[in-house]
Amino acid sequence: MDEDLILELKGITKIFPGVRALNGVQFRLRRGEVHALMGENGAGKSTFIKVITGVFPPEEGHIFLDGEEVRFKSTRDSLERGIAAVYQHPTTYPDLSVTENIFMGHQIKKGPVMNWKAMHAKAAELLGRLNANFDPKVEMGTLSVAQQQMVEIAKALSTNARIIILDEPTAALTANESKELYRIVKQLRDEGVSIIFISHRMEDMYELADRVTVFRDAQYIGTYDVDGITTADLVKAMVGREIKDMYPKPDVEIGEEVLRIENLSRVGFFKDVNLDVRKGEIVGLTGLVGAGRTEVVEAVCGITKPSAGKVYLNGEELHIKKPVDAMKAGIVLLPEDRQKEGLILSWGLGRNVTLPIQDELSKAGFNDEKRERLLSRDHLEAVDTKAVTIFDPASSLSGGNQQKVVVAKSLAQSGTKVIIMDEPTKGVDVGAKAEIYAIMGELAQKGYAIIMISSEMPEILGMSDRIFVMCGGRVTGCLSRAEADQEKILHLAMKETAKGGENAEEEVAG
Amino acid sequence: MAGKSGRSIAYTPERSILKRILSWEGALVIIFIGVLVMGRIMSASFTPENVLREMPKYLSEILIALPMGFILIMGEIDISVGSIVCLSATVATFAGNAGIPFPVVILICLATGLACGALNGFILTRWPELPPMIVTLGTQIIFRGIAEVSLGAGGSASYVNSKDLDILGARLGPFPVAFFAVIIAAVIYIVVLSKTTFGRKLYAIGSNRTAANYAGIKVGKVRFIVYTLAGLMSAICALFILTTTYGANTTTGQNYEMDVIAMCVFGGIATTGGKGNLFGALIAGFTIVCLRIALGLNNINTQLILVIIGLLLIVSVLISSLTQSDFFKKRQLKKAAEKSAKKEAEALNKPLE
Repeated sequence: MDEDLILELKGITKIFPGVRALNGVQFRLRRGEVHALMGENGAGKSTFIKVITGVFPPEEGHIFLDGEEVRFKSTRDSLERGIAAVYQHPTTYPDLSVTENIFMGHQIKKGPVMNWKAMHAKAAELLGRLNANFDPKVEMGTLSVAQQQMVEIAKALSTNARIIILDEPTAALTANESKELYRIVKQLRDEGVSIIFISHRMEDMYELADRVTVFRDAQYIGTYDVDGITTADLVKAMVGREIKDMYPKPDVEIGEEVLRIENLSRVGFFKDVNLDVRKGEIVGLTGLVGAGRTEVVEAVCGITKPSAGKVYLNGEELHIKKPVDAMKAGIVLLPEDRQKEGLILSWGLGRNVTLPIQDELSKAGFNDEKRERLLSRDHLEAVDTKAVTIFDPASSLSGGNQQKVVVAKSLAQSGTKVIIMDEPTKGVDVGAKAEIYAIMGELAQKGYAIIMISSEMPEILGMSDRIFVMCGGRVTGCLSRAEADQEKILHLAMKETAKGGENAEEEVAG
Repeated sequence: MAGKSGRSIAYTPERSILKRILSWEGALVIIFIGVLVMGRIMSASFTPENVLREMPKYLSEILIALPMGFILIMGEIDISVGSIVCLSATVATFAGNAGIPFPVVILICLATGLACGALNGFILTRWPELPPMIVTLGTQIIFRGIAEVSLGAGGSASYVNSKDLDILGARLGPFPVAFFAVIIAAVIYIVVLSKTTFGRKLYAIGSNRTAANYAGIKVGKVRFIVYTLAGLMSAICALFILTTTYGANTTTGQNYEMDVIAMCVFGGIATTGGKGNLFGALIAGFTIVCLRIALGLNNINTQLILVIIGLLLIVSVLISSLTQSDFFKKRQLKKAAEKSAKKEAEALNKPLE
């Protein structure tokens, strides 16, 4: 072997019901290197990490640790072999002390009794090694996210980890905290720990990584030396394909403005958001996960309360306080989490479709079951739902068909003018995706105004008339269909983080 | 927008008599008949007349089981109903003894229960994040506390103009008035739950509160109404209890919440919400009432009923968990899959013919 590999994965395939989350991917980690793993949302990075740590045993493929093949059945197995993961949102016990969090699962004992003295001492030593100067006896919940991450890293070190996986560690950190993290990562590398680093931020990668591996659509694209690749090449590797034609976007004459959002803000989530959508138009709203897209539409639909700003429908200001107000105005949200927010899984499809309109259909408070059945059947057939009867429980359908039921539900509401789809093809396989795009196109033709939130670049480019990009709770730009391309969108989606860093530095300097 | 594949979806419900009999409600009817037969065998005095005569002592709890069913179907719980019974009975007794005309006494009693229920509803909808179990535990203690303080040192008060109560304790033919009250209330509650949009909303809230909220259901309003109803029904129950106890004391209505929840769960309502119906709860209620009467007529310590109800509860929960087990589910899924495959095949063949 010409490379000093500590970890090698070959031909890893992981299948979830209906989805190939990883398709024959490979990965080679050298001893003592920082290796970045990049790709779009849904490219399979997180699944890959879970394969390495033993959360999801792969269907196919081989994992070699120090040149020896291993099979991890649980995270315990991988921890014992020196692999530890630190996740984006620290999975800690907020009510327990830092020491207890660090030694959770591998406490130091004196006979049957906890040896707190030894644990506190070891915890203090580990934190000291990370230059983190807080008392290991304090409660975890009182710490900042950055400090909690330190604790997670200390926890990884306490298990004598030789490979540490950091999953989007800087996503929730300020610029200065990120710098501190960089320092620690470099220190660990110099101590001989190998690090796998997942991040959306280019700056993280350039600052830290020696090499970068790119995944796209559950597939391995390539591994590159960071010094030898330009940002443009890397972005192309990440987003890659040209499949604009796959999206049946019809030419629709775009009418007058239907919905306008002005300076909408919700403290801590998004600020001064301006957005508008016209009759027959599909507006794409994109950005990285956590940019505040879902929060904006939830505020528009009365699920949460915005702290400032106005919403206009056909030029008239709306005062939406509850979800029912939005529905009455004709704004329907197809939520991101269909199973939790969009459907009652134990119910039949028909009842799901008529749930929001059962009051309108009822006679003196009594359900008009016959009318409900007919109407729900019509709407379910119109979107071509694959179901035998309208009494099939929603839980029995695939993700794509569940999404069709949610669409049918929104169309059953007669006053619907604006349809907001939050990640409409999330967890939907390719075939059903195309059907959902076709339905979207038809809805636009019928004159509905559509807002589509999506993290998937191709569907944003393929379906949108205009594209709003959000980053860090703000709209960073609006691109027309003609001018939009992947690189421009990615640039806008990452704008705030880069800028945020500069601003923070200025603030510190000033 | 027509379906591109031309696939059609069936929309007529299947009505199977066999399924109805094999349901939990069917089983309950059989258990109920079993209890009647057993009572008759155990004691010659277990006659229809005697059963109906003894009934009012126990029957009125079923009145509370009805709104409790609503609450459980929403996935919530109200353990303050027994205390509302106590407080309403106490207030009614004092009102009656103060010389207030009986119809007004009834109104005062109902208003007390309504106010108690509305208080529960107000707290739970004003602060929806609070757990109903704890809030109603709090009001349980408060309501009974108020009643105990007003009852004073003796801990009891008798209804002086007891003749007033005889109207409610009377019989129409062989049937006590309470029996009619239960049947009428049960019919109303069953119809509301199974036929109206309000009933459907209860199931929606109990099955998936978030989705119900997203679908525009006013979850807070529905919850407020239901808790208020529980208070009102507790007060009606209190009125019928007065006809057998002729007064209130500190133990009036004690443990009613548990009896009533037991009736509902035994009747097939899941405490996790979204499942069950009141027909089952009604039969379960009558089964428990008749069991009590049978034990009473045999001079068996009526506290034995607690042991029996406890066993019934565990058995009924066990049965429902067994039918929900993987083994059964897999079989059902397999059957459903076969059925749909067959239908799809039929649909494919049709155009060819």
